[in-house]
Amino acid sequence: MWRIRLFDNLVQVATWAAGGLLLLTIVAVFSYLFTESKYAFQRQFPFGFRIALQPPHSEYRDEVSMDPTASLLATHREGTDELDDAEDATRLPSHEELMQMQSLVTATAQTDDPNQLRADALFRDCMRAPKRAEQGERFLLVAFALPNYTADTMELAWEPDVSFDPAYCPYQLRLRLVRAPQGVQVDPIEIDLRRQPKGRIALPVWKAHTQEEWLQGYLFELEARPTTSTTWATLQQFLKPDWAPTILYARFGMLPLLLATLLITFLAVGLATPLGLAAAVYLSEQASPRIREWFKPILEILAAIPTVVLGYFGVMLIAPALQQLFGEALQLSSGRGLLATALMMTVFILPTVISLSEDALRAVPNSLREGAEALGLTLAERVRLVLLPAAKSGLMAAGLLAIARVMGETMIVWILSGGTPTMPDFSSPTAALGTLVKPTRGIPDTIAIEMGNVEFESPHYGHLFLLGLTLFVLTLGINLLGFAYRKRAQVQL
Amino acid sequence: MIEAARSKVVPVAEWEVLAARQDVRRARKNALLTSIFGAVGLATVLLVFVLVAIIAYKGAPTISWEFLTQPPREGMSAGGVAPMILGSLLLMLGAFLLATPLGVFGGICLAEYGERSRLMRLMHASVAALAGTPPIVYGLFGLAIFVLKFHFGVSLIAGWCTLTLFCVPSIVLTTESALKTVPAALIDGGLALGLSRWQTLWRIALPYALPGILTGIILSLGRAVGEATPVLFTASVYYSTAEMTLGWDTLRQPVANLPYYLAEGYRQPGVVPERLIWGACLTLIILTLLLNAGAILIRSRMRRRYL
Repeated sequence: MWRIRLFDNLVQVATWAAGGLLLLTIVAVFSYLFTESKYAFQRQFPFGFRIALQPPHSEYRDEVSMDPTASLLATHREGTDELDDAEDATRLPSHEELMQMQSLVTATAQTDDPNQLRADALFRDCMRAPKRAEQGERFLLVAFALPNYTADTMELAWEPDVSFDPAYCPYQLRLRLVRAPQGVQVDPIEIDLRRQPKGRIALPVWKAHTQEEWLQGYLFELEARPTTSTTWATLQQFLKPDWAPTILYARFGMLPLLLATLLITFLAVGLATPLGLAAAVYLSEQASPRIREWFKPILEILAAIPTVVLGYFGVMLIAPALQQLFGEALQLSSGRGLLATALMMTVFILPTVISLSEDALRAVPNSLREGAEALGLTLAERVRLVLLPAAKSGLMAAGLLAIARVMGETMIVWILSGGTPTMPDFSSPTAALGTLVKPTRGIPDTIAIEMGNVEFESPHYGHLFLLGLTLFVLTLGINLLGFAYRKRAQVQL
Repeated sequence: MIEAARSKVVPVAEWEVLAARQDVRRARKNALLTSIFGAVGLATVLLVFVLVAIIAYKGAPTISWEFLTQPPREGMSAGGVAPMILGSLLLMLGAFLLATPLGVFGGICLAEYGERSRLMRLMHASVAALAGTPPIVYGLFGLAIFVLKFHFGVSLIAGWCTLTLFCVPSIVLTTESALKTVPAALIDGGLALGLSRWQTLWRIALPYALPGILTGIILSLGRAVGEATPVLFTASVYYSTAEMTLGWDTLRQPVANLPYYLAEGYRQPGVVPERLIWGACLTLIILTLLLNAGAILIRSRMRRRYL
């Protein structure tokens, strides 16, 4: 007797332990995706502008960054090591040496206090460590002409540093005239650099005749004023349309990835659902039991083909075909892209859709089927009028499961999408066709590709987790909805 | 129940009107639609055969005794894929050993206490949601918790844990639904004979549901072995010459495996010749198909024994 009781208790304890562990897992998955995403919110927001004083017809009019005399005012990762006066190569040379090189000068200093400027501690560029969104930054810029300058006007030109886009910066950026030289009449200047990231403004010429006079020239400031908290700024940036996490002025806008994933899902499920439904109707209503017995294992074979292999198939079969069709018209280097991915996804999801839909159709009670048949309805009418409405909940559940599976499938997108984040564009038929066949990139493959060479616990790592969380929340919602439909289907029939 | 279902669909009177119509168009439409259904079904089967045939055609010339038993040589450009096959099998074995008890007992827990409390209903919904959660999310989670938090590093054991998490939800669900198919008469009979509740479960319900449970386990392992993403950042290495032992050291080392080999083969084009890639594809498919064949076999044999 005691052995039976012991046995009872053991099984019960094991059952409860497994149940508890499952609950723990669920909670852990949730909480860990959240906690690791916190590294995303430790990001900083670099910015950088190139500013130059130019003669009216400068050859660098439109490319300030090419102007060798331009000053770079920037906060970015490469500028994080403290600039050392002695070491820094871009320190301004002496007045006489400068005269031999150029006639218009912009210079900057480490300090942001106009009273602490020193003529012997001026630099061409100034790079500081990037800051959080709550912390502002202020650069000073001295601008003057040298005695060898001959024209009677000069222009201050500015443009964002290469790869910096002010739209990806949460600060209010302003270029402001702090002080004009004595005896020069200028209107106050204040430029909103986010609204006018690139521009030029004419200034009356003012010449510094000795090194001591340098500091009496035009004094500008580039101010980055915080507008929001880092958390909020990170979230705002996350919804922007450009994903380029490895460039100097990193952009973490996941919109193109999300839209690509949604489009691929839409296309693949849109193709697979009617096909799968047709095959399921054939299987459950028309096929003889013998055929059905053969069909299911064959479907399972298709379901068992690993997705890596399906990806290779796409590269071998679908991509070259698309390349032949559209390659010349759209200058494609390969057929990899959204459409190729969606087509292979259709193959991937088809067995799941067929077997789940067939289960749903077979769960419809035979009395309904026979009643409709007895009335004299044809098979097609029975399907439309009786079977589909009766199996609606089960079919919905199948469709939702298919959506969640396609959304999270990684290897097919990785291999077939081409790997370039692209915003979908449906403004014209050509653009729409381009969107379909040109390379793209989805959420899951971005995680898979970039996690391999990311520094752990860096903001980039955090953003990959934020992407994972986005995917998880999306699929979770769809799965829960599917679960509800499945329950309803069980209750109904 | 049927009344309820009928009220959801079109009223019977409309069907009668439709059915009374005797025209050729109805028959034609029916013939057209039914042949479309059949054609799509046939096309699906054809698709499967074409895919498998292409892989077999491309991969078969590569498969040889040397390919299956030798490690890669000459900077991955020659030799075989033995370490990858071994690694895949090892990963699967560990996941099998860890996921089976957890999944089966979890399934029992759901089947026994399923609808009783709000907590259990929540658990059921969460397991269903986890079963549909993308493998890449498991990969991320495994990286965060096993590799970094528990300091396992990228290792076999971290891969086992991640794959276990990946397999358990689907095993739980199939176990639960298999247990639900056990006829109430059998359970009542057991209880009436004076068996305790857990004896009934262990001696009557579990054996009856065993084919369903085993099929579920094998199918989810088959999915796990072909899936590159859960082990991508948790357990994988392109190729390592470290010796496999049965000790702790091997557990703490990353392992090569077939899906990762294929993924890396794509990421670094030109390193592995196409011949070897297709050979590895075929090997991987054969591995998953063997598992599936096992599942089908078990299902049909067990069904014969119990029905």
